[in-house]
Amino acid sequence: MILVTNNPKVQGDPGISCDKEYIEGSLKDVLIAVRDRIHKGHKLLSHPLSGSLKPNETPYKSILISKEAGSMDWDSLQIIENSIKVCEKFVRYPKKCGYNNQERLLADFSEVDYQLIVAALKSAADKVGGEIL
Amino acid sequence: MKLELGNIFIRDIRFDSVSKVEKGILFVNADELRDHLLEDENIKSVSLEIARPGESIRILPVKDVIEPRVKVQGSGGIFPGILSKVSTVGSGRTHVLKGAAVVTTGKIVGFQEGIIDMSGPGADYTPFSKLNNLVVVCEPVDGLKQYAHEKAVRLAGLKAAAYLGKLAKDVEPDEVKVYETPSLKEGIEKYPDLPRVAYVQMLQTQGLLHDTYVYGLDMKHSLPTMLYPTELMDGAVVSGNCVSACDKNTTYHHLNNPVVHDLFAKHGTELNFVGVIITNENVYLADKERSSDWSAKLAEFFGVDGVIISQEGFGNPDTDLIMNCKKIEAKGIKTVIITDEYAGRDGASQSLADADASADAVVTAGNANMLVSLPPMEKVIGHPEVANVIAGGFEGSLQQDGTIVVELQAITGATNELGFNKLSAR
Repeated sequence: MILVTNNPKVQGDPGISCDKEYIEGSLKDVLIAVRDRIHKGHKLLSHPLSGSLKPNETPYKSILISKEAGSMDWDSLQIIENSIKVCEKFVRYPKKCGYNNQERLLADFSEVDYQLIVAALKSAADKVGGEIL
Repeated sequence: MKLELGNIFIRDIRFDSVSKVEKGILFVNADELRDHLLEDENIKSVSLEIARPGESIRILPVKDVIEPRVKVQGSGGIFPGILSKVSTVGSGRTHVLKGAAVVTTGKIVGFQEGIIDMSGPGADYTPFSKLNNLVVVCEPVDGLKQYAHEKAVRLAGLKAAAYLGKLAKDVEPDEVKVYETPSLKEGIEKYPDLPRVAYVQMLQTQGLLHDTYVYGLDMKHSLPTMLYPTELMDGAVVSGNCVSACDKNTTYHHLNNPVVHDLFAKHGTELNFVGVIITNENVYLADKERSSDWSAKLAEFFGVDGVIISQEGFGNPDTDLIMNCKKIEAKGIKTVIITDEYAGRDGASQSLADADASADAVVTAGNANMLVSLPPMEKVIGHPEVANVIAGGFEGSLQQDGTIVVELQAITGATNELGFNKLSAR
């Protein structure tokens, strides 16, 4: 399993021991990186639009894909392509919120993305015998 | 399973020295209730406010809305597994303070919360502007972790609703409605010629701030299962989520699920309402496959001719919605799905993040990206500055004069995907 993320909290957590690909970039950059991996035969394991935070709100995204690469998985491709389309729809309206405690807000967004991917990792761990976390 | 709902109509709410219900007025001893809620050591302060229909009041950020209810007869208590023991609910008699609600607000994690305007154009977009609301403003202790914060505010709302609900225990209801679901065998014998219909309710279960509790169990850890519809009316399902305000199912929605009410209205005449299949909306794709397999299997096992499927939230749940629809249709069972749309401010973009040809009967609850302008109110309960950061808001949403320009997604219950509002399209 490979965790593609641009969330420093996910990247920096030694408790998450699976392979990670850290993206220095936007939420959309994470989606594109995952799409490129799917083109190469990796399978999508968690939903790219996890969470109700919209792509023009939270800057963070973490997505699980398979470590193994086989022939291209069309279901994965359809989900990631639809997700990129949704992302492009939202980023037409950037939020640029003028909140006076931006740091706290970013910490909350980071925490939500972190907790959602931990929930997915727990599901994955149950499946493979608890070795992922 | 048979439940009598005794509705006590509430036409006003006031603070007083004694909490009671008298002649349609809900009196609240604010000090007593505040002390009760402050027993939670994670809550630093509680203040209580009243917001009535038609008043120039804006509440934000709203977390949950809860209707006060109390069990009068039958097993279990309201909100089983959370405030009451886990005994099965849904039978006997329950009293309801109809027209009243508890609304929770205060600083909330990530500001995934909404707006309720009690008057003006915003009031038309939320059903909660028509209620006599007791607003519980909860502030957490400093440094409280996000998940503990969410839980503390969630429990405060439930406790406040239960406190008010108890006042209805010995009050004679203004009306009593009876809801009954026969067993599968009895239903087949009683209504041999009526189409059999089930309701598949998808519950938000993605993780932190995106969870729903069933008899106290975090539903993301459950396989799909069935409920008698009346269990919902006694608080078997509780909202623990902070997804976008427009399409989150508050606890009030779960108690008053319109799909359940409308199916009951036609039960025994046009159709045989068999029951509710509850399922989840997890992030891990294998969970989605397993759960949608299971909901389709349950629908097949119950021998239904049709199902109504409702979803909760945006994006990730669209995939669960389409999986449920496809797999249930593949069993030869007709489906109708209820959703809302994120079709862009001009309404021209694709509405959902997933689609399938079998999803050919769709009810929309409106376009959450539509822009609305909410004129200033005389009083704001909560934190007005969060208008710029809540889902649907943006820099400049809160204007100098107090006007808020936001997408419809910022208004609590505006595009509710159970259909508990007035927006749709033909």
